[in-house]
Amino acid sequence: MNGVLHRVGSSILSLSREVGGLAVLLGQITVRLFPPHLDGKETWRSFYKVGVKSTPIVVTTALLTGAIMAVQSSAFIEEWGAYGLLGWGAGFSIMREVGPILIGLMFSGRVGANNTAELGTMKVTEQIDALRTLAIDPISYLIMPRFVAMIVMLVLLTVIGDLFALVGAMIFADLMIDVSPQVFWHSLLEMTYLIDFLVGVIKAGFFGFAIALVSCHYGLKVTGGAVGVGRAVNNCVVASAIGIFFLDYLLTPLIDSAWAALFIRYG
Amino acid sequence: MIVFDDIHKRFGPKLVLEGVSLTVAKGRILFIIGQSGVGKSVLVKHLVGLLRPDSGRVFLDGVDITDYSEKQFYPVRKRCAMVFQNSTLFDSMTLLDNVALPIRKHKRLRDKVARREALGKLALVGMENEALRYPADFGDGMRKKVAIARALTLDPEYVIFDEPTTGLDPISANIVDRMIRDLSDRLGVTSIVVSHDLKSIFSVADRIAMLYKGQIRLDGTPEAFRRSEDPVVQQFISGSPEGPMEV
Ligand SMILES: Nc1ncnc2c1ncn2[C@@H]1O[C@H](COP(=O)(O)OP(=O)(O)O)[C@@H](O)[C@H]1O
Ligand SMILES: [Mg+2]
Repeated sequence: MNGVLHRVGSSILSLSREVGGLAVLLGQITVRLFPPHLDGKETWRSFYKVGVKSTPIVVTTALLTGAIMAVQSSAFIEEWGAYGLLGWGAGFSIMREVGPILIGLMFSGRVGANNTAELGTMKVTEQIDALRTLAIDPISYLIMPRFVAMIVMLVLLTVIGDLFALVGAMIFADLMIDVSPQVFWHSLLEMTYLIDFLVGVIKAGFFGFAIALVSCHYGLKVTGGAVGVGRAVNNCVVASAIGIFFLDYLLTPLIDSAWAALFIRYG
Repeated sequence: MIVFDDIHKRFGPKLVLEGVSLTVAKGRILFIIGQSGVGKSVLVKHLVGLLRPDSGRVFLDGVDITDYSEKQFYPVRKRCAMVFQNSTLFDSMTLLDNVALPIRKHKRLRDKVARREALGKLALVGMENEALRYPADFGDGMRKKVAIARALTLDPEYVIFDEPTTGLDPISANIVDRMIRDLSDRLGVTSIVVSHDLKSIFSVADRIAMLYKGQIRLDGTPEAFRRSEDPVVQQFISGSPEGPMEV
């Protein structure tokens, strides 16, 4: 009993330590936003690493996921004769949930983990201290460009991913159950709304922010050599996934009701 | 002038520095010697704010910098450069970009101009022909030379060299030794050099301080070290495995 209590207590403690650490990092970043300053070279390097190198895998997964969605639903579509709903079904679920969540998780596994490993290695090999001794602030120089790159690129990758997933679904709908691309697009464009797309894209921005915060935090906090780097990468991926799902539940109704409020007000 | 006054530092239960007091006169070269793990690197990191003492004060040119914030330390670090024991070059950049980075950031020069200046610094350590390769391509010794070039880019008044010649071939070691001597003689740079290299110690040092069991065992000229009858000092200088030192 005592052992259990002890363990519960210490996990609560370590959880609050992590949350505190995230808050501190967030504060340090916020302070440096006024005035904003980004190192051009480091920002380009981040954009290239985060974005360009992630695009092929995002495109491939999105295509295959869209395709499998069409394959899985084809039996029901045929049974109910609901050919005209496939475009809507695929579009609604891809743009709102499947796109941002799937690409967010992939992004955390690829970009977030990579970021934690890189920063962690820099920490344990004293490269971060070396920056400090060169009178270069590691938060401004290293962390800010990564934040910007991760937020912007996850949004863009989600847009690209949505598009390719829809293309995948469309192709397989045509191949499997003869739903022509015209029928597919018609249903998609008639029955989904701008908000369905926006919900996903806005969430992607927040996911990018969460992955950046978590991966930078774990990277900068590494101690204990290569073993420590491995542990940090693990923690980063787990914490990012939790963060993504948490934000997903939190943001979806918020964005929807904000949109509804706007709609009532303006039009 | 650098003054360490009664510095205490512990990591968890481990006492590393137990009251270290040390003064380095302007323009001179102080060597800090002592066994591995005795706390030499820990001591010098206090000067640039990478570590903070549990108690004791650090003065730079008469100014108490002990309680400076990280932000206040940035100007201090521009005046007081540090070469780490493990070179700490940035893996993601070429040697040239490593050296150009502080120039680019602090002198507000265009990339091209900064690179040209960096190439000149690399030439000082004989690495200009490798400028476009990455740190991973090189061994410890060559990386250390580049780290020295990088540390000198901001024309510091003070330089900390943490084991600058460890891992270097004898010729490169001599070049580095001569460079440290030149910095002092020609530019009046004050240096703290952590070293085990007896040859450099006795050919370059103006003063030597030996750290032993968390305190300064002896602080004096090379001559004073040669003549010292302290068995601990004698054993370290002769490198004898037998003696009063606990290994
Ligand atoms: N950041 C740190 N955290 C915990 N212990 C440390 C840290 N830095 C150094 N130490 C310990 O302090 C002691 C002195 O280390 P160091 O100054 O590197 O020795 P050296 O004289 O060889 O340079 C070592 O036992 C080392 O384990
Ligand atoms: Mg050391």
